[in-house]
Amino acid sequence: MSTATLSNVPFGGSKPPAADNKPRWERAVPVYGVSVITPIFLALAGLAVLSLFLTVYREVVGLGPASGMNDKFGWGIWKTFNVVVLTAWGSGAFAVGVFAWVFGRKRLFPLMRMALLTSMLAYACGLCLLGVDVGRPWNFYWVVLPWHWNIHSPMAEIAICMSVYASIPLFLENIPPILERLWHVNVSWQPAIERVEHALHKFFPIIAAAAYLLPAMHQSSLGALMLLAGQRVHPLWQTPFLPLLYVGAATFMSFGCVAGTTMLCCLIWKRAMDMEVLDEAARISAWTIFGWLAIRNLDLLFRGSLFTAFHFTRYAGIFWTETLLIAYGGWLLLQSLKTHKRQTMFVGYALSSLGGMLYRFSPTTLAYMPGPHTMYFPSAIEILIALGFASIGIAIFLVMVKLLAILPASNQEWRNMAAYYKARKPAISRNKYLGFFGHNELSLSDKKSH
Amino acid sequence: MSKRPTIAEHLKASGVSRRNFVQLCGMLIATAPVGLSLTSKKSVLQVAAAIGKIKRPSVIWLHFQDCTGCTETLLRTSAPDVAHLILDVISLDYHETLMAASGVQAEAALRSAIAENEGKFVLVVEGSIPMKEDGNYMQLGSKPAVQVLREVAAKSAAVIAIGSCASWGGVPSADPNPTGAVGVDSIITDKPVVNLPGCPPNPYNLLGVVLEYVTMGKLPALDDQGRPKFAYERVIHENCPRRAHFDAGRFATAFGDEGHRKGWCLYKLGCKGPVTHAACATRHFNEIADCWPIGAGIPCVGCTEKDVVWKLGTFETVPIHLATPPDNYPPIYSPIGGVSIGAAALVGAVAGGLGGATYVYSQRFTSSQEAGAERIEAGQAEKQLDKKSDRKEV
Amino acid sequence: MAITRRELITNIGKAGVPVAVAMTVGTQTLQAEELTVPTEPLSLFYDASLCIGCKACESACNAANNTPPDISRDGLHQAPADLNVFTRNIIKLYKPADGSPSSFVKRQCMQCFDPGCVAGCPFEALYKDKDDGIVHWDGSKCIGCRYCTIACPYSVPRFQWLGFNPVITKCELCSHRLAKGLKPGCTSVCPTSAVIFGTRSELLLEAKRRIKNNPGRYYQDRVYGETENGGTQALYLSRVPFEKLGLPEIGPDSGPSSTLRWQKRIYSYFALPAVLYAGLVTVIRKNLKGYEQEAHEQEKETGLRAQL
Repeated sequence: MSTATLSNVPFGGSKPPAADNKPRWERAVPVYGVSVITPIFLALAGLAVLSLFLTVYREVVGLGPASGMNDKFGWGIWKTFNVVVLTAWGSGAFAVGVFAWVFGRKRLFPLMRMALLTSMLAYACGLCLLGVDVGRPWNFYWVVLPWHWNIHSPMAEIAICMSVYASIPLFLENIPPILERLWHVNVSWQPAIERVEHALHKFFPIIAAAAYLLPAMHQSSLGALMLLAGQRVHPLWQTPFLPLLYVGAATFMSFGCVAGTTMLCCLIWKRAMDMEVLDEAARISAWTIFGWLAIRNLDLLFRGSLFTAFHFTRYAGIFWTETLLIAYGGWLLLQSLKTHKRQTMFVGYALSSLGGMLYRFSPTTLAYMPGPHTMYFPSAIEILIALGFASIGIAIFLVMVKLLAILPASNQEWRNMAAYYKARKPAISRNKYLGFFGHNELSLSDKKSH
Repeated sequence: MSKRPTIAEHLKASGVSRRNFVQLCGMLIATAPVGLSLTSKKSVLQVAAAIGKIKRPSVIWLHFQDCTGCTETLLRTSAPDVAHLILDVISLDYHETLMAASGVQAEAALRSAIAENEGKFVLVVEGSIPMKEDGNYMQLGSKPAVQVLREVAAKSAAVIAIGSCASWGGVPSADPNPTGAVGVDSIITDKPVVNLPGCPPNPYNLLGVVLEYVTMGKLPALDDQGRPKFAYERVIHENCPRRAHFDAGRFATAFGDEGHRKGWCLYKLGCKGPVTHAACATRHFNEIADCWPIGAGIPCVGCTEKDVVWKLGTFETVPIHLATPPDNYPPIYSPIGGVSIGAAALVGAVAGGLGGATYVYSQRFTSSQEAGAERIEAGQAEKQLDKKSDRKEV
Repeated sequence: MAITRRELITNIGKAGVPVAVAMTVGTQTLQAEELTVPTEPLSLFYDASLCIGCKACESACNAANNTPPDISRDGLHQAPADLNVFTRNIIKLYKPADGSPSSFVKRQCMQCFDPGCVAGCPFEALYKDKDDGIVHWDGSKCIGCRYCTIACPYSVPRFQWLGFNPVITKCELCSHRLAKGLKPGCTSVCPTSAVIFGTRSELLLEAKRRIKNNPGRYYQDRVYGETENGGTQALYLSRVPFEKLGLPEIGPDSGPSSTLRWQKRIYSYFALPAVLYAGLVTVIRKNLKGYEQEAHEQEKETGLRAQL
């Protein structure tokens, strides 16, 4: 018998679907019947290839001609957006995982695979772009040699922690869907695969604990980075609580990413949406948002900086934009729980994510004031490389969602998928490779398995 | 005198003490223009050692179409003065102004000087050489100047053309140049010719060349017009003491006006400093500070330059080829960074695209609310059919 | 079975005791660990009231460090607008429009006692010498992340934006010349001795002597760098306010000491993270058991292989 499983256990155990036929997410099912090569995929791939060529250009000529960075603004959008913002938006594995596994919100389990995949891609693309951004990447090997780590430096903490996190816990957590697919490909591989699955399962607490501790550390260190800039960050953002606020922002942003993306995928590929799961996620997001807003604004109040929000400066404008976006987004999420309108929920996620992105971006760039008459705007090449690396992530996501079981659906959807493949590939039993999901389950039944 | 004594021996024989000799060398090292090999010596004793070993070179000085101003300028030096120069440093074997002989004795002196030092003497030429009418506008001992020059230069080691006249023709060559006056290097092409233009040139230009030749045995680095770089590399404008006034826009506009009396820049009065290569701005004349045209309030006429002094009008302003340095000091905060149109457009496009897509998809939520339920129903219908075939899923 | 809130809090509470101990011990140790002050800090002392703006220090600096002059302004004259990869020190002019007294200022690395660049550098590429306190850059460890350019309150380290082998440049007090017994390039050529070199103690004395002998000449009778930013080894005297010269009034607390205090405490000896990790493992293991049971039941019922 196959080993016990982890992430997609439905709530309430072996209850049948409710009598009202409300859709339930019981397992992850790959998107079938849709080709991998679509116009959007081609556009993303094209952008990705362009950015790779531009990266070569950047390596040859240096950072100056390839970006808009200068002596006063040493960090451009590669660091401040793709790393600081996008890895936070894509830290669903951390946020959703903590609520599901540490605080026991079992209803969130169907979202875990989506969260893990989006996180893996966000971190991988972010770290690759970080490698493009640093000026002397050949010295990066110091990451694995502790005797020259400056452990007081937030930058060291981020470099080491993110690399370790992405390459070990996050990566290991993303292996199960691949193993699952391989299990269906070839019967003779199954014992080996089951051994690996068993090992992963045995070490799951250790891996998962690291997968929740490390992101907490580096997402907060991303906030600690700007602490050293002191007065050069506008007082509406600069606070000793910056690390905590950054982790909080990552939490509600990543819920927006995971739940919002799942809703969008279900919309596009015509899947049912399990409102119990989504309601749970929305509830957690909303309360996180309001808690976060409270901490942030109370901190501003007690430090005496809140009054600057009422001056007519662009900093006040940015502050109100992000605050209103986040607050309105949170309010929409709460509304959607009452009205059961998915549109409201989706817009709520979108607005709160956008506000969170603006919040995390501001102290590094928009609210960073290195002196009078200084400004920074990314150059066209810089923007294209940033977009290109993000598109790599999205393109891979589109492929993975169709090849592996990531997107949650009902058990019936799984059977539909198996039937779909069976109807279209009757001779598959002769083909040892490219097996499809559900195939071996059929053949096992023929062999009257153990 | 077939065996020439070295300078050290000669001085000793002349009764010049070693102390005086070293003092002379101290003068030399202090006043030698920068750019000579001599100035790379680190101590006076090194100079003394270098000079002491040298035999005084023979110098023959010929005058042609000259005013003797260049000889006059040489008299107004003190480090070394002419006496020191001709007695201790060089052996001036023929100089029509300074030598005692005249007439037949003078011609004999020239012949013997040439014969004794053939191939080794330095020929200094002052004054231009007329070429029209077979060169007969000037004769030396009944021979045309051009013939004399060719004969003497053929036996020399090097030629120094002192003054604008000898360098490129000078005053006699001004329009309409009735005598066909030309400079030495138009005639002598097979010997190294050093041009020292100026009307007159600063005597230290000559002394610098002589010193370099005496101590190092070679001539200093020359530019493309044969002028030594140490004195003629820069234009007056580059080193002019009144440059600050030029840079700040303070000009004298008429002789005797307030600006003129305050010592402001003379550019608008036709100063040719910006196009004249010479060292007058840093080494003034008669060893008196400010004893030079601009220092006396007279705009430079460009006396070293063939294309300037007799070609341009006295009050004609000249173009400036060298830029004024940028505004002096950077402010405490300099502007940095900017935004390009392309980048702004890209950001706008991306933001618009993403925002639009979000809006469009958010709208579709309402219309497909029930889409998922249909599939479940369809699936359940199929399940009913499957149950009939008794197929089990493991 | 899901873990209840009570169990969760109890677990964390049980872990909390060692946490408290670890943090207290860690913090005590940190407070005992004061910043190491160099044994014989070397200094530059710049008296802005003596500077004539001749910029000999700029060319001498280029010559001493073997860098080409920065002629990017017009391709001809050395006129950098600010510090950059070719320019380790620069003379700037403060000239108020209202005609009040102007002043030159020489800007270069301040060689702080608690440098922001050293605190921020991930792999100790920027380090402060223990004896003379000069902050050096070591290219073999630098990854080019440019955090130093952001962490420095004086905006001193400059990154090389052109080429594939970029360096970080800043004044290092000509330590290669000091090793030969020479003085730094800038102080060797200053015609008015506006900038002079020596040990910090003797230069501080000299600064104070000047203040005493010239009452009312210097701004607030104060030496900038004595306590600012935790103390710097570059000392300044000026007639005009320091802020007008671009020297920010930071106060006596250095950047790292006031901002990274909690970072140091939380991560001291990795005690807190280790404790949290243990707690997380415990909680997750408990939750895992419940899920396994449900997964088995679900598998049996639906006939579909349970998903990892």
